[in-house]
Amino acid sequence: MTGELEGRIRDALRVVIDPELGENIVDLGFIYDISVGDGAVHITMTATTPGCPATSFLREGVENAAARVPGVESVEVTMTFDPLWTPSLIEPAIRASLGFAAVN
Amino acid sequence: MVGNNISRWTMTYFAMALAWLFVALVLMMAGVGYPAAGIASSDTLVLVHAVCIGWLSLAMCGALFQFVPVLVAAPLFSENWALPALGLLSAGLISLLAGFLSLGGRLPPALWLLPLGAVLLVAGFSLVVVDLGLTASLRPTGPARFVLAGLASLCATFVFGAIFAFALAGWTGPVGGFILASGVPLHAIAGLGGWLTLTAMGVSYRLLAMFMLAPDVDDRQSRMTLATGAFAVGLTVAGGSLAIWLASGLNVVLSIAAVFGLASVGLYGRDIAGIFRARKRRHLELNMRMATLSFVGLAAMAVLGIALAATDMFAAHVGAFAFLAVFGWLSGLVLAKLYKIVAFLTWLETYGPVMGRTPTPRVQDLVAEGRATKWFVLYYAAVWSGTLMLLAGEPHLFRAAAAAMTVGVVGIVREVIRIRRLADVASPLRLPGGAIAPHLLFARA
Repeated sequence: MTGELEGRIRDALRVVIDPELGENIVDLGFIYDISVGDGAVHITMTATTPGCPATSFLREGVENAAARVPGVESVEVTMTFDPLWTPSLIEPAIRASLGFAAVN
Repeated sequence: MVGNNISRWTMTYFAMALAWLFVALVLMMAGVGYPAAGIASSDTLVLVHAVCIGWLSLAMCGALFQFVPVLVAAPLFSENWALPALGLLSAGLISLLAGFLSLGGRLPPALWLLPLGAVLLVAGFSLVVVDLGLTASLRPTGPARFVLAGLASLCATFVFGAIFAFALAGWTGPVGGFILASGVPLHAIAGLGGWLTLTAMGVSYRLLAMFMLAPDVDDRQSRMTLATGAFAVGLTVAGGSLAIWLASGLNVVLSIAAVFGLASVGLYGRDIAGIFRARKRRHLELNMRMATLSFVGLAAMAVLGIALAATDMFAAHVGAFAFLAVFGWLSGLVLAKLYKIVAFLTWLETYGPVMGRTPTPRVQDLVAEGRATKWFVLYYAAVWSGTLMLLAGEPHLFRAAAAAMTVGVVGIVREVIRIRRLADVASPLRLPGGAIAPHLLFARA
């Protein structure tokens, strides 16, 4: 049940995109962890660059998207830059389409 | 800050800056000021201050009100000071330019306009310096240090400028006249080299790294770049002031400062090349490609400066050198980054609040790079042609180059307005439920 809710939350988060890269934050690897317990959801996420003005909007977007999933009663989102995001976290097919260097 | 992320008045500063750029371009097309008039003529003073204060300084202030908080990851000291500062700067500049026109006989005698303009400008810039300085000093590392050095240079620039304005009005006695007779290079170097160039360098480090997903430049590396550049400006201001006091001439001081200035440009080139090499996004957006042309302008400026100094022709061609610095390097970079910043801030303002509730477009969906490219290319080609016309002593052909620059800038501004109006975003993503169209001239609260 918890795993199924986590899956639905993960799907819901695909509506949130990184405005610069133009892909959803799940496939970009921004979501580090989703933990669910009794309807309370805690999401740990990152962004490409610390201090980017889009960071708080991404955080709020994740909160909004997760809160709309049936069965979710509360959402807490933690933004972290440890570890730092790298393009290696992107889904391979999307990484290629975004033109990231293979070495990165 | 709107939603703690977006400076409310950055667009207002950009709009006012672009209006002043058009004023300057019209003056150049009409043959007002250098090269049609002498480089120290009152007409040239009108042109130079419309460009340096009206266009470049207002655009830089607008960008800094947005990005200094990003550099230090803290809110601006006071968002409320930005609009009064813009009002003081605009009124001060109009008064100063009217004073110059009066000085040249184009307006009835009213030289009191010069000190009035100076006082208003000093007040406006002081608000900017305190607001940005207190914010940047919260975390004075990396690019924020460049901003602090730029703000210190701005203070030196407006102090010299105020002395000159009072001297031109005849309110300072012989001391002011003495400083005015020798101090103009110090005023110009502190403004163009210190305030505008050091600040542009600092902001570019952050913007390039952020938009190309490159690691920030190593702090020790950028510190060396800043140290050499700040030493060049500091030596010019302090050593130059002492040299004026001792009546010993400025040649030695300016020669040493030029060497350090060149070293700083070289180190900056190394830093920027490092950011490009280390970028994770291989594809370069239009703003990055066009910023590259401004870096070429900076390098060309260094080469031109060396060539003119080596052939003892710097004084004869200082106008061409300054034109390349102002339009090839600084204005090129500002236009390229403005194109990106407007798109990015417009996206944040319009779509940031509805993220997670509805699908949103990408930042790149707000721009039409294919259409904008030709205007940037025309602008740069016209600037380089204009520089050659100045070097060749062809004022009529220079006016043709200024006309081409104007066409390029009109095209770029049209693209910027289209971005702000979301004109290139296809429906239904353009204004999804809950999203509010942005105002052209400011960020909505």
